[in-house]
Amino acid sequence: MLQILASRGDLVLLRDSVEWEGRSLLKALIREVALKGEQVQVLGCEVSEEVFREGLDSDTNSRLVYHDIFRDPQGWTGNWGPLGILRACLRGAEPGPCTLAVDSLSWLLLHAPCSALCQTLRALGHDNSHPGRVRVLGLLHEDVHGPGPLGALRSLAQIEVTVGGNLGFTTAQVFHPKPRHRSIEQTYWFSILPNFSLEFHKEPLLEPRPHRGPQSPTVDAMADLTFNVHLSKKEREARDTLALPFHFSSEKQQSLLHPALASSTSQIFYEPDADDYLDQEDPDDDLDI
Amino acid sequence: MESQQGEGGTELDSQSSIWVNTGGNKMAALTTGFGRARQGGAGDPREYKAETAAGGDKLGGGGGGGDRGCSFLRKVSVPGSGGGGGGGGGARLRSIAGTRPSVQNGQLLVSAGLPALDQLLGRSVSSERRSASSGRREGGRERGKKEGKEQINRRERGCGTIQSEEGASTRPQDLLWGCSSPTAPLGVLLYLRGGGLAVGTLLLIEEDKYNIYSSLIFKYFLAEGIVCGHTLLVASAKEDPGDILQELPEPLHDDNYKKVLDEGRSHKSQEEPEISMKIAWRYQNLPQMEAGPGTSSRFGHYYDVSKRMSQEVIQSAKWHKFFLPEEITSYANVESCALNHGYTKLLHFIQRVISEQGFDGSNPQKKQKNILRIGIQSLGSPLWGDDICCADTPEHMHSLTRFLYVLRGLLRMSLSACIITVPSHLIQNKAVTSRIRNLSDTVVGLESFIGSEKEANSLYKDYHGLIHIHQIPRLNSLICDVSDTKDLAFKLQRKVFTIERLHLPPDLSDTVSRSSKRDLVESAKQLSPGCGMMAGGKEHLDF
Repeated sequence: MLQILASRGDLVLLRDSVEWEGRSLLKALIREVALKGEQVQVLGCEVSEEVFREGLDSDTNSRLVYHDIFRDPQGWTGNWGPLGILRACLRGAEPGPCTLAVDSLSWLLLHAPCSALCQTLRALGHDNSHPGRVRVLGLLHEDVHGPGPLGALRSLAQIEVTVGGNLGFTTAQVFHPKPRHRSIEQTYWFSILPNFSLEFHKEPLLEPRPHRGPQSPTVDAMADLTFNVHLSKKEREARDTLALPFHFSSEKQQSLLHPALASSTSQIFYEPDADDYLDQEDPDDDLDI
Repeated sequence: MESQQGEGGTELDSQSSIWVNTGGNKMAALTTGFGRARQGGAGDPREYKAETAAGGDKLGGGGGGGDRGCSFLRKVSVPGSGGGGGGGGGARLRSIAGTRPSVQNGQLLVSAGLPALDQLLGRSVSSERRSASSGRREGGRERGKKEGKEQINRRERGCGTIQSEEGASTRPQDLLWGCSSPTAPLGVLLYLRGGGLAVGTLLLIEEDKYNIYSSLIFKYFLAEGIVCGHTLLVASAKEDPGDILQELPEPLHDDNYKKVLDEGRSHKSQEEPEISMKIAWRYQNLPQMEAGPGTSSRFGHYYDVSKRMSQEVIQSAKWHKFFLPEEITSYANVESCALNHGYTKLLHFIQRVISEQGFDGSNPQKKQKNILRIGIQSLGSPLWGDDICCADTPEHMHSLTRFLYVLRGLLRMSLSACIITVPSHLIQNKAVTSRIRNLSDTVVGLESFIGSEKEANSLYKDYHGLIHIHQIPRLNSLICDVSDTKDLAFKLQRKVFTIERLHLPPDLSDTVSRSSKRDLVESAKQLSPGCGMMAGGKEHLDF
């Protein structure tokens, strides 16, 4: 799953919901990036800096630069507005590869026009001072928004991670559409430890997925057939030598070329059976012709 | 590649000589190839004779009075003067490289870069054959009738396909006025072939969900422009147009294309053992149906998507770039009430290019005329500052429609063809979608299977998506060419993008389970009545 962190110049969308929150996953990913020795810019809108830093080790915290919107949501101290702060995030960053975590895009969507946010995010990914080296991790509470803004952000994102859960385990569905290759779609099962390290699990541990359960003994559908499904070699040969009525042959040709001959020789004889049911009424009576 | 450029070169030569002869007719109109060919031809006595012979057919849009500078006047061609294809006699009509006249609606056509798509977007008579036909009107009409019947007969045999009506040497007049002779079946009008994109029209591509295949078609369109020597105008809010040009596919030679296609086929046959089929005698002599819209008559080029166009070719091309983030320096909200700021800028830019580079015919007859190919990527997406994708009742609901209205005006008055891609799956308000469709001339929708449940459906396993032709323009006529197949699918092979008719895969296995078969039948039914005909009832008989 961490290979999503390898892609640069991309927007990685972390979609979470009320049931399955994605902030811990975001923090875990931030920790992974910081462990590589990179600086991480965080734009925090929903929680205070203290809460966000809580639980992360000091090494990570030292590499984390927190841009606080939470403290001043209306932008009274500056005159930039939330998008202005978002744009300014990367200005103080070190040259070189750079990661920006946005917590969260939902807050920004509620406080800024959707199109302006999209334009800003796009501009961030192609920042001139970090050409092609910026990675944006955006947390989005998908159940807060309508399909419009959600679709707009999804069209911008190169990688989508949907946080969900099953049986007490958190899952992350990673979807990465690729133009020339098969798109990658994978589900990871993991849990997040108190120090925000990720622990991955083998697919379902407890296994109560209905269709994976102990299989009922498979019924052989071929067992009691009253007919032959497969042909033996001999039978196949016999079938191939058979002249089919729709095949063209010399006899067929003759019969077509001399239809009169054929019709003059053939006659229809009909002998009703003794107990044959013959309806005297007009069979088309009900048709009302 | 080289040979094609060479071909273009000879045409330019012949064209320039025609222009010298033009004499008094200084009408600087934005005429299509037809009109200018006639004006030019007037200087040559032999051609003049041919023209007077056809004098009765003039529709009034020809030599003088009718030219009001709109690319939509109907020009009737001189009989016997064939268009493009093999060149030769056609050089007179195909005055601009990479274009050919449509006999059906009197428009100059350009290729969309994807010959299969051209075929779907409208058809005209095979121009190669036409150039061989004689100039005599009556003979032509007789032939037209006969072939019309032939075509109908073929259709009745169930093999009337989009592509190959070989030898359709019907003349334009007969086609335009097919109804005037009572015996000419109307079907003649409908089954013609070899279309393209009319100059002065707008092609709308509705993007697939992840904008993978629509951007490919966009690139095909631009690549075709470069190969034909057209001028490009690339506008985008997402990617730098320079980067888009770097990713254009490399053109393929004809023989190479066949090879590539054969590769694909042989690859397939290795997987599945060849099973010899017994064909009933009534059907065994029928021509084989081609899988895709035909390859027989085309004037576009094929491209190899696995390779990039070479740098020299791209650098030699003339192109203009509009990259929205570079054009808009301030993020301040300076929108005028009527039109979004980005759209206004783009319109001004296009207008400037058209007027300064002479695509509106402002510098008459001095310069060789050329086609301007305009490509606008992801129009209407939030990156253009438009909010139709974001809300049900957007604040600037009419911004895009106004833009398209003005754009169409610009296109109609200039020698240009335009492709736009629109993420219509994101547009929340369906009224906006249909307005956009109405404002475009040709509308093609792409539906990719990526991420959708159709990906797993075995009916679609050979394909990557569906292609929907939503709208085909009616240019100078009451009817438009509707292709006889509505179910079209595309797939992206290693090298080529192909469009094929969608049909049920043959049921060759002995052991298809009953349930999966039923699934197939069900999905075929959903698809369309045309395809699901064999699926009569729910119960599927195994024998």
